[in-house]
Amino acid sequence: MPTPRKKTSLALFIGGMTCAACVRHVEGALQTVPGVSMVTVNLATSRAAVEYDPSQATLADLKKAVEDMGYSASLDVDELSITGMSCAACVKNIERVVATMPGVSSVVVNLAAGTARVEYAPTVTPLPDIITAIGDIGYGAAEKIEGQAALDREQGARAEEIKKQKRSLIIAGTLGLIVMLGMFQPYWILADFVPAWMNNKVFLFFLTTPIVFGPGRQFFVNSWNGLKRGLTDMNLLYATGIGAAYLIAVINTFFPDTGFGGHDATFYEAAALLTVFIILGRYLEAVTRGRTSESIRHLMKLQPKLARVIREGIESEITAEAVLVGDIVAVRPGEVIAVDGVVTEGYSAVDQAMVTGESIPVEKKSGDEILGGTLNKTGAFRFRATRVGRETALGQIIRLVEEAQTTKAPIQKLADRVAGQFIAGVHAIALIVFVFWFFIGFEAWFTPDTRLILTPYVLTGLGVFGFALLTSVTVLIISCPCALGLATPSAVMAGSGKGAEYGVLFKGADAMEATARLDAVVFDKTGTLTKGEPSVTDVIGLENERNDILRLAAIAEKHSEHPLGEAIVRAYREKFGEPDDAESFEAVPGHGIIASIEDKFILLGNRRLMATNGVNIEALESEAARLESEGKTAMFAAADGKLLGIVAVADTLKATAARAVAELKKMGLKVFMITGDNTRTAAAVGRQAGIEDVLAEVLPQDKASEVKKLQSQGLKTAMVGDGINDAPALAQADVGIAIGSGTDVAKETGNVILVRNDPLDAVAAVQVGRKTLGLIKQNLFWAFGYNTLAIPIGMGVLYPFTHQMVSPELAALLMATSSLSVTLNTLRMRSFVPAVRREKAAA
Amino acid sequence: MKASVIYTGLSLIAAALFLLATLFGEYTAVERIGGAVWVFMLSMIILMPAVTSAVKKRSGG
Repeated sequence: MPTPRKKTSLALFIGGMTCAACVRHVEGALQTVPGVSMVTVNLATSRAAVEYDPSQATLADLKKAVEDMGYSASLDVDELSITGMSCAACVKNIERVVATMPGVSSVVVNLAAGTARVEYAPTVTPLPDIITAIGDIGYGAAEKIEGQAALDREQGARAEEIKKQKRSLIIAGTLGLIVMLGMFQPYWILADFVPAWMNNKVFLFFLTTPIVFGPGRQFFVNSWNGLKRGLTDMNLLYATGIGAAYLIAVINTFFPDTGFGGHDATFYEAAALLTVFIILGRYLEAVTRGRTSESIRHLMKLQPKLARVIREGIESEITAEAVLVGDIVAVRPGEVIAVDGVVTEGYSAVDQAMVTGESIPVEKKSGDEILGGTLNKTGAFRFRATRVGRETALGQIIRLVEEAQTTKAPIQKLADRVAGQFIAGVHAIALIVFVFWFFIGFEAWFTPDTRLILTPYVLTGLGVFGFALLTSVTVLIISCPCALGLATPSAVMAGSGKGAEYGVLFKGADAMEATARLDAVVFDKTGTLTKGEPSVTDVIGLENERNDILRLAAIAEKHSEHPLGEAIVRAYREKFGEPDDAESFEAVPGHGIIASIEDKFILLGNRRLMATNGVNIEALESEAARLESEGKTAMFAAADGKLLGIVAVADTLKATAARAVAELKKMGLKVFMITGDNTRTAAAVGRQAGIEDVLAEVLPQDKASEVKKLQSQGLKTAMVGDGINDAPALAQADVGIAIGSGTDVAKETGNVILVRNDPLDAVAAVQVGRKTLGLIKQNLFWAFGYNTLAIPIGMGVLYPFTHQMVSPELAALLMATSSLSVTLNTLRMRSFVPAVRREKAAA
Repeated sequence: MKASVIYTGLSLIAAALFLLATLFGEYTAVERIGGAVWVFMLSMIILMPAVTSAVKKRSGG
């Protein structure tokens, strides 16, 4: 029996990708490495997820395959702080031990800084193993927060890309401007200002050549690397476009009689400006693309750098990463809390908006949980650290959002496929266009007054080959589907970050798209629509004051452990403070309470308790029936054998439940409620929430099959539940929305996680999902629309009527504009506020 | 190796067909050869990825 091959997976960070074709390029390169079974590349996050057999391929093989294509490849990089090093030998020791660990690509130890920078695959060797290995040889090592490192790396790579394109843009732009002035010297009023020698073709040759082989070199090198592996990308379109324009210009300069149009058709400015516009597009794209992930960057910035820890009675300031679970941390007013924990002493109000989206500061006292990254407002307090580093709520949220941003929405897979096939398609169109204009079009329609749009050029001297080639090159340039590659990932990044801002965490791009396409939402009742704990809803008195009835009931129930009794005591405490103690107290199981207070003999319980003690309840029987029909539990109160009134207790709706249901209905969704409660209680709660479709008396294990039934009716269904006993239903639903996960988001089941316990966030989730899908569709529309419109114009469809052609440089400008329009459209998400939250903020 | 022979061969055939077609019109040598080179280049670009992946699939890779 053959031994099954052990597969492993890792993430490579790819630098230098600019469009969807680059994605296919890198995917193709990695797939050619023996042993690689699965590759998924995400343009927006510049990450490649690779599954491979380590017995057949090494990390170096994977990196080389990517680097051979002209892109950079790196693994996860983490900084460790090292203690205990004293000399260069320590450096060598650590480096030797870490470098030989499987999955470690490189390690650089800095003695002066006391740090180690490790490039490694965490799926092969997790960071704790590296820390342990360093510890085993006698040094201390601690991890730097991963999210921050990732942010630094991403920012660094982006800054490098921006710097590179900026440098190219300055060189190409300056020279290109001079070339343009020289080319247009004889036209307009330029002849008065620009010296004639600047129009000399040899002079222009010397200016254009450094542009084509300097800043433009990247296109030729990258496309050649791709072609060697049988892969094509945008670079090839650019290279053929720039190369052809340059070549024609050179031939017409030095061999003007060869039939390419002579000195009148030296398109040096085409080659120069084409390069300038493409680089301008890349530069602007690099700048704006970074902004789409602003939300996640904002979250990462919340992670504080320092913490004041009390160890052995001494307060000292240390880095937040060095805080250990169990440490006591002191927090002063105005400080950002370093890690998660539980308050041990002190009192304050904490602004948690940045993590949970709650707009009002939350009061914190001893025993309350606090979150790292939140802002202490008023008081000073101390807390015991319970979760540190990447395990904090903020760390988990960041990780979840990052993971979501690396996934692909189903709609994107289609766009990727189209964009990938597009390159070959465009070249085929360019070939057809060339052949058509060469054999048919030129003879049929060419006139000597032919012009290039927006230029003073008259192409009188252009021969059949020059004309057909010019049209063919224009098609190549104008068709570039860069915008198509950016359309979806940029919107997903912006959408998932925006969701996180409002406490809505999508576990993937597919979850976002599914949320946007929902037809029905099923709410679990207890804990989702209702508060999940009973509270006093009504106090009805016969003759006595209602407050007096509540007081007697609270005294009777003070020492009760029954949830209904606790609700009565809580209601009294909230209004009047601590109730007195009863003189005597007896709980009668299944009946109620018998107590004596101030020489009164008090009964509080159901009909059976009253009947067995001879109390006539006829006067309030109809009220009790009414309350029960509303799903409430009615408890009769009597003193010395005489009926006083009724205290009704029920699990009440959350304040926002009815509004959430109404909003979802307004958005065209069907809303259901599912519960194990009896039909009467369920119907009563459903009525209050505004839900007509109530699925009552459903056992927890049967909730999933109820969801399945709705799906079988063709409804794309979301299940909103607490993620613990609703797990099977959450898993069955098209979108499982786990509500009120609070701070331990990583453990939650479900595709969408709502940090807070507010049903309105389910509405916000749908609104963010719909907005994101809307953005994706708009982006795809613009991208496809541009190509659909631009290609026929580039092909010269209008030429027989206008005798004007699109110049290659105008084509490049249009192409750059389309990418930019898509990115700018995505940036609109920055100001998006879900409608339910907008109204709340206004209120 | 096999794939490169196929796509180069097909591209050469496309360029040859182009050259052949130019014989029916009045074209200069530069136009004929320049056009054939351009047709060859575009054909190579179109066929390279398609033929490479088709050959790879057929050979079970």
